[in-house]
Amino acid sequence: MTQVLEGFLQALSAGLLIGAVYGLMCVGLGLIFGVMRVINFAQGDFMMLGMYAAFYFFTALGVQATFGNTFGPFVAILLAGPVLAVFGYFVHLTLISRVSGTRTSSLEGEGHYAQLILTLGIALILQNGGLLVFGSVLASIRTPLSSSAWELGPLFYDVSVFINKARGIDAVVSLVTMLLLTLMITRSRIGKSLRAAADNPTAATYMGIDVDRAHRIAFALGTGITAIAGGLLATNYPFHPFVGVEYVIVMYAGVVLGGMGSIIGAFWGGMTIGLVQQMSTLILPTQLQNAAIFVVFLLIIFVRPQGFFGRMVERT
Amino acid sequence: MLHIEGLTSGYSAIPVLNDVSIKVEEGQFVAIVGPNGAGKTTLFKTISGIVRPSTGTIRFANQDLLSIRPAQRAHLGIAHVPEGRQVFPSLTVMENLEMGAMTEAGQRDWKHNIERIFEWLPILAERRGQFAGTLSGGQQQMLAIGRGLASSPKLLMLDEPSMGLAPTIADFIFERLIEIRRQSNLTILLVEQRVAEALESADHGYVLEAGRVALEGNNQTLRADDRIRKAYLGM
Repeated sequence: MTQVLEGFLQALSAGLLIGAVYGLMCVGLGLIFGVMRVINFAQGDFMMLGMYAAFYFFTALGVQATFGNTFGPFVAILLAGPVLAVFGYFVHLTLISRVSGTRTSSLEGEGHYAQLILTLGIALILQNGGLLVFGSVLASIRTPLSSSAWELGPLFYDVSVFINKARGIDAVVSLVTMLLLTLMITRSRIGKSLRAAADNPTAATYMGIDVDRAHRIAFALGTGITAIAGGLLATNYPFHPFVGVEYVIVMYAGVVLGGMGSIIGAFWGGMTIGLVQQMSTLILPTQLQNAAIFVVFLLIIFVRPQGFFGRMVERT
Repeated sequence: MLHIEGLTSGYSAIPVLNDVSIKVEEGQFVAIVGPNGAGKTTLFKTISGIVRPSTGTIRFANQDLLSIRPAQRAHLGIAHVPEGRQVFPSLTVMENLEMGAMTEAGQRDWKHNIERIFEWLPILAERRGQFAGTLSGGQQQMLAIGRGLASSPKLLMLDEPSMGLAPTIADFIFERLIEIRRQSNLTILLVEQRVAEALESADHGYVLEAGRVALEGNNQTLRADDRIRKAYLGM
C-alpha cells in the first residue's frame, strides 16, 4: 500500500515539475499560434536551436568556466532565450511576415496554407542543417544537480518523495519566466498593444498600432520562451538535431488544450500534458506515454472543445 | 483640414467609390449620408489606409495622406471610430481607452482626456474594469467613441454610430456627440444612414449614392432639397 502511494506521489511530483517546463514550452507557441494565429511547424526546431545555443554557451563560450558546473547550465539557458528571440525576430522579418499579418489578413485562409509550407520548409532546413553542423551525437546540458535529489519527508508513515534537483530548479525558472511574461502581457503598454493587435488587427491599426511590428515582437518572444523551455528540458533529457519533431505536436496539443488565444491556458495545457505523461507510467508501459497524452487530449476536447481558457465566442 | 479629390477606390478591380471629392474644414461637422452599399465605409477605410485607392488624392493637415503608412495615420490626429464598434473584446474598458491613447498627443493629454471622457460617457467610468466583449452594443459604441477621443484627435471619423442600436440608445448617442462637439469644438466627419438626425446636427452634408457624390450642400440647402425630403426624410 505505502509503495503504491509512494509511486503515485513520485509520479505526481515529477509530472508537476515536467509540466511546468512543458507549460512554458507551450506558452512560446501559444504566443505565435494561439494569439497571433500564425501556424509555425518549425517551433520544435527553434527549441532545438535553443538547446544547442544553451549547450554552446555552456561548453564553448565560457559560461562553464565563469559560473561553474552546478549553476552554469541555467545561466547558459537564460542566455539562449534572448539569442533565439533575435533569431525569431529576423525569421519573421525576412520570411514569416511575407505570409502573415496585414499582408494576408484579407486572403482566404489568412495565409495559413503558405505558413504551413514555409514553416515545414524551415523545419526541414533546421533539422538537416543541424545534423550537418552539430552532428548526430546526443548532446546534453548536465549539471551535478541532474543526478541528485531533495528528499521530502517522510511525509507520513514511511512515505517520502524525491525531487530531482535539476528538475526542481527547471520548474522554478519556468514559473518565474512565466510570471514575468504574464506581467509584461497584462501590464505593459507593449503587452496591451500585442493583445489589441491579436483581438482586432484592423481596429489596432486605427489606434496607430503597427500590427506587423506587434506580430514580430510576439514571434520573437514566442521563440525565445520556447528556447528557454528547451534548454531546461535539456538538463534532464539528451537531445539531437531532430528532437523538435518529438515536441512540436505536444506544443500544439498544449495550446489547443489550454484554449486558443490564452497565454495562461497554454501554460496549463502544457502542465496537463506533463502530468498525464508522468502519471500514465503508473499504469501503462513507458512506450505508451505519448498515446496516453493524446487519449486524454481527445477526452478533454470532447467535453470542452474550446479548451480550458478558450472563449466559445470567437473574435467578432 | 481633410481634402479628398477625385478618389476612386474599392476592392480588387471593381471600384466602390467613383471620383469622390469631399472637404472637411477645421471645426466643421460634416455628415455623409446615403443608402447601404453607397461606399461610405469604403471611404473611411481608404482614409485610414485599410483600402488603397486607384486614383485620387487625400490631403490631411497639408500632408499627402496616401504616402503615409496606415498605422502612422492615427498619429497625425485621425481617430477612426469604425463601423460595428470593433472594440477589443478581451481588453478591459480602461485598456481599450489606453489603446486609443497610443498616439503621442493621446499620451500627453491622457489625464485631461480620461476625465472628460468619463464626464461625457459616465457608463465607461462605471464599467472601467469590465471586459469590453461583455458590454452591451450601446456601451460598446460609447467605448468606441471614448477610445477615439482618447487619442486627442484633430479629426474624429464616426462610421454609423447608430448601427444596430435601439432607437432610444441611438438618440442618446447622437445627443452625446452634439454635446461633445459643443464642448470640444472637434472637427467631425460622420457617416450615417439615419439621414434626418445626421443632417440636422451637421454643418455640411454630402449624399453618396452608388459610389458617387450625388448632392452636397450646407445644412439648410440639403434639408430643403426636394430629392432629399422625398427619398430620405419621408416628406
